[in-house]
Amino acid sequence: MKKILMLCLGFFGLYAREIAGKVPLVSKDMAPHSGGDLLVSSQMIDNILHYQTWGELFVYLQVHWFRLLFFGITVGVLVVFLLHYLIIGPKKFAHSGKGIFVYSIFKRVVHWAAALAFVLVIPTGFMMIFGKELGGGDLVLTARYVHSIGTVLFIVSFIPMFLMWLIPMLPSFDDIKWFLMLGGYLTKKKVVVPAGQFNAGQKMWFWVAMLGGIVMIGSGAMMYFQDFHLSILDRFGLDQIDLIRVAAITHNFLGMAVAALFITHLYMSLFAIKGSLDSMIDGYKSEDEVRYMHSSFYKKLKKEDKI
Amino acid sequence: MANTWGYGAMTNSLGDIQNAKAIIIFGANPAVNHPVGFRHFLMAKERNNAQLIVVDPRFTKTAAKADLFAQIRPGTDIPFMYGMLHIIFKNGWHKKDFIDQRVYGMEDVMKEAKKWTPSLTANVTGVSEDLLIQITRAYAKSTPGTLIWAMGLTQHSIGSSNTRMAPILQLALGNMGEEGGGCNILRGHDNVQGATDMCCLSHTLPGYYGLSAGSWKYFAKSWGVDYEWLAGRFKDKKWMSKKGFTLARWYAGVLAGKAGEDKIHNGGTNLKALFVMGNGITSISQQAKVKEALDALDLIVLADPFVNEAAILTDKKDDVFILPAATQFETSGSVTATNRSAQWRSEVVKPMYESKTDHDIMFELAKRLGFYDQFTKGMLIKENKKSFKFPEDATDEIARIIKTIGLTGWTSKRLKKHQENWHLFDQVSMRGIGPMKGEYYGLPWPCWTESHCGSPVLYDVHRPVKEGGMGFRNRFGLVHDGVSQLAGVGIKDAKVEGGYPEITAKNIEKVLGIKLSEDEKKKIGKNWKVDTSGIIAAKCMEFGIAPYGNAKARAKVWTFPDQIPMHREPLHSPREDLVKKYPTYKDKPNHYRVDTRYASVQNKEDWSKKFPINLVTGRLVNLNGAGVENRASKYLAALTPEMFCDINPNLAANHGIRDGDMMWIHSPEGTKIKVKAHYSYSVGEDRVFIPFHFAGFFQGEDRTGNYPEGTKPYAVGESANTVTNYGYDIITQIPETKGGLCRVEKA
Amino acid sequence: MSYARMKFYCDEERCIECNGCSVACAEAHELPVGISRRKVVTLNDGIEGKEFSVSVACMHCTDAPCEQVCPVDCFYIREDGIVLHDKEICIGCGYCLYACPFGAPQFPKDGAFGTRGVMDKCTMCAGGPEETNSAKERELYGQDRIAEGKVPACAAMCSTKALIVGDEQEVSKIYRKRVMSRGKGVQSAPYGWSTAYGN
Repeated sequence: MKKILMLCLGFFGLYAREIAGKVPLVSKDMAPHSGGDLLVSSQMIDNILHYQTWGELFVYLQVHWFRLLFFGITVGVLVVFLLHYLIIGPKKFAHSGKGIFVYSIFKRVVHWAAALAFVLVIPTGFMMIFGKELGGGDLVLTARYVHSIGTVLFIVSFIPMFLMWLIPMLPSFDDIKWFLMLGGYLTKKKVVVPAGQFNAGQKMWFWVAMLGGIVMIGSGAMMYFQDFHLSILDRFGLDQIDLIRVAAITHNFLGMAVAALFITHLYMSLFAIKGSLDSMIDGYKSEDEVRYMHSSFYKKLKKEDKI
Repeated sequence: MANTWGYGAMTNSLGDIQNAKAIIIFGANPAVNHPVGFRHFLMAKERNNAQLIVVDPRFTKTAAKADLFAQIRPGTDIPFMYGMLHIIFKNGWHKKDFIDQRVYGMEDVMKEAKKWTPSLTANVTGVSEDLLIQITRAYAKSTPGTLIWAMGLTQHSIGSSNTRMAPILQLALGNMGEEGGGCNILRGHDNVQGATDMCCLSHTLPGYYGLSAGSWKYFAKSWGVDYEWLAGRFKDKKWMSKKGFTLARWYAGVLAGKAGEDKIHNGGTNLKALFVMGNGITSISQQAKVKEALDALDLIVLADPFVNEAAILTDKKDDVFILPAATQFETSGSVTATNRSAQWRSEVVKPMYESKTDHDIMFELAKRLGFYDQFTKGMLIKENKKSFKFPEDATDEIARIIKTIGLTGWTSKRLKKHQENWHLFDQVSMRGIGPMKGEYYGLPWPCWTESHCGSPVLYDVHRPVKEGGMGFRNRFGLVHDGVSQLAGVGIKDAKVEGGYPEITAKNIEKVLGIKLSEDEKKKIGKNWKVDTSGIIAAKCMEFGIAPYGNAKARAKVWTFPDQIPMHREPLHSPREDLVKKYPTYKDKPNHYRVDTRYASVQNKEDWSKKFPINLVTGRLVNLNGAGVENRASKYLAALTPEMFCDINPNLAANHGIRDGDMMWIHSPEGTKIKVKAHYSYSVGEDRVFIPFHFAGFFQGEDRTGNYPEGTKPYAVGESANTVTNYGYDIITQIPETKGGLCRVEKA
Repeated sequence: MSYARMKFYCDEERCIECNGCSVACAEAHELPVGISRRKVVTLNDGIEGKEFSVSVACMHCTDAPCEQVCPVDCFYIREDGIVLHDKEICIGCGYCLYACPFGAPQFPKDGAFGTRGVMDKCTMCAGGPEETNSAKERELYGQDRIAEGKVPACAAMCSTKALIVGDEQEVSKIYRKRVMSRGKGVQSAPYGWSTAYGN
């Protein structure tokens, strides 16, 4: 119970401030006389003084929750989609005709760069989370390196993707309707789904991948670089090691969301809507699919006489 | 010290500090400079609940462990101690019978102490009256108390007064000749005591024999060389008795004649060559002058295991020779610890590569100079041998010759036995057990005979001479101003009552009440110091007395400029008002061959106007001396990778200096150094601290290109001694590095 | 047979920040400069009445949190309580550092392309999982002094004997003796013990 309370307080950072206020004046120097590159960071002092807040919280979550949640969410999402596939089944749209050109070559390249990044990052992330089962060592160590390399690729694809889809990804009234009918995925019937160029599900994925991505990059970088120094931390009463602990906790929780939506995205594009993958290959979406799944977008195109 | 009671050495031992009930430390930082020895201080706190009192210009690591700490203004130890004595005498805390029986001249001290009221003391020293009273009470009421000092007390223009003042405080409290008491000077390096005992100095022969013709003759005889031959090595005989240059001022011997330099008295010639064996030239003051002198020399020879940084400092390109000397691990022999104990050291490895041991270097030099036979003859005499074994025969030679400090018992055989049975000695009392029973570890001198046990506590009349007891030395005559100088108390178990004079061939029969046989009369030496027959020592042991007499310690040294220690402001004082009240000495001509300035420097200008900040130098725990061997170790260098200056954040901020900024320190000498600022509250706002272990930079200029390939240490920096001020002790000529001034600015 | 429980104890009344322990450690195990398996921490440096120093390294905790959070399970705890890890399993993720109350885990930059490599920490001079006193053990973990019956280098070097290491019973005895003789500063356990050993 105490742990749960602590967890809640911890999230608000209240407890952290309270503890920090009681800490006596601390020499920030590790060695008596700082200077030069030879000396290491001041993590250690911070550890000794602040451990009770974020340190214990991190241990608690890592020991009891992270692996369980990752496992649960992954399996849960997979099971849901399996059931969906078996019970409701995929949507099929007529692929006759020329289709509608939706993704330029630039957009497709950017998408696949990001996709490759995710393919590198997410499985290697899982490899680290379940490193125990893989026996650790070189395999998982390599996964850790690949995780970092994938991040670099993600950073590269991040900016163009964000700019090119920012406008169509902005929320609209359709999204509410979409959510109310859960995108029409719970029925075998072909229903007209209210959505613009992107539906609310896609938008959710976009924003989690983009905004979450920034947070994931930031928190990951903190863990990666570890010995960085941010003088601004002092103003918030945070110590570097605590910041890294918060980063690790955030990275894990957000990782769950990203992983869940990534799996969803895979399921949607590969299984739930037959042939939707083609649009990311040749740039054309079937008119039938757009008419139903992106009805508002379809109407707009009609009005503009683009079809 | 030697002028107070006979010997200038630590009276007790580090282990004995565990017996103290109070410890007062002036100008020493054992937690940093003697970390292993500091354990005994901490043990005293644990065992006896001893009060640890630290009086220092900065809050040192030692002060961090202290019960009471007084942040004193540099150079005001004498006022502080007079302030303490004022309170002690006023309250009657002094030990009257001890003073009556064993001290001469305390009345004069009492008179002077009367002037140093707590308020005056507070004004001069910067320590509050309350704290002074608190410290005095804590120290005076818990006896025995031990008094510790090191370079912080000695390196002043009044250093020799400081080192007389501390003993006076101890004498007033009766803390001398007691376990847990004494004046314990902490020697700064391995074997400093040994080097001092062998008088690697310019004013005396080995064993403190002085430079009189009599001493020279005694040594000529003992070394087996002709006195006239020895005399022939000098310009003429009168130079045999003249003091030489000191380490602190050798540069003056080179620079004399140039404008603004002090005049020298060196037989009409300047110094032309410098031979350095294991001395960090960069750790002495006046680096700018030292550099100038090095540049002007004809020849520089530096024998050192590491590159002596004199070679880095100088611009001289030719005739600079760096000889690779062996380390202590590559040689063997005896070394003397701070407490006068000898310890035999074994060779761990043979000298590596082309390095040679110091003695081999000297032997080779003697061969080249043509006096090798005379140089080594002393080692052959004892057993009339054809060849010698070093260092055993050298050790035995020392034991044979040096009587003054009682090294007779220090034969190589005994010293080796002590080393081999290290585990059989108690750490605190140093007493041996089992086969070593009856001896003290390392036979702390005086060790009067080859069977004497050594003397762990000097001047202890409570134990018999055969167990290391003795009175104060009778060194300064029998009567002064009509007052007998002999002690009013006898040594335990002695067959001679009360005090007695030092033993000579003339008075031995009278003092001991014996008759010498004709044979003995023929063999006996003139006095105990030169009696190689051993008769005086043997008789004295028989009668339970120390050969050197049993006299009073003297608080008043009538041969010194200040008969009792008097406060005099440093040459560069931040308190111009006090300079007028407590001026320094008059300039002293021919002081170790150099005219040395005192008043003319102090009065030249009001130094405090342009240089308002006190400059304190000192050591770091990871470095030692000039620091080159430690800075060449990557792990030690990593602890302090750069030269820095401890500066109070308030002072720094007033000069716009941020933590980690580079800053200039300017000295009144017109020199400057560029160092990194390190914020520290350990120094007050009126002073800065810099460590003196760095070299490689000079006044902002990077000279590290001068290191021979592969020898550049991991850490280099400015030498603190580039900015330490002019100023030398009136007696010993030790530089005044602990009481100077400076000015700081952002670089 | 029951094993001794090995513990560290640093007496802050005695520690004088001489760094003998940390330098001895670095020398003994030939650590890269900047990697401090053991460090001396001084709090309130230069402030009268408040300054104290303490030497800190891996405390070899009971229920060591590093062992619990390790995602690849590279830690193992010996019967004498010494917490060790297998560098061939470790992936250098840093989780142990986040979990450690003492900041013990160190990360030399010896990984691929000079990046952060696998974790390094105090072994209480007990080496690692490799064959005792083998060249490989020495290369990866440094000296195995415990196997040779020697005291860990840091405590052996400690100038004031502030740093003590050994069987819990013996260390407690020394601690109690010191606290008793000082007659002040009553604490129930040495510094860091409640965090490390839960008592």
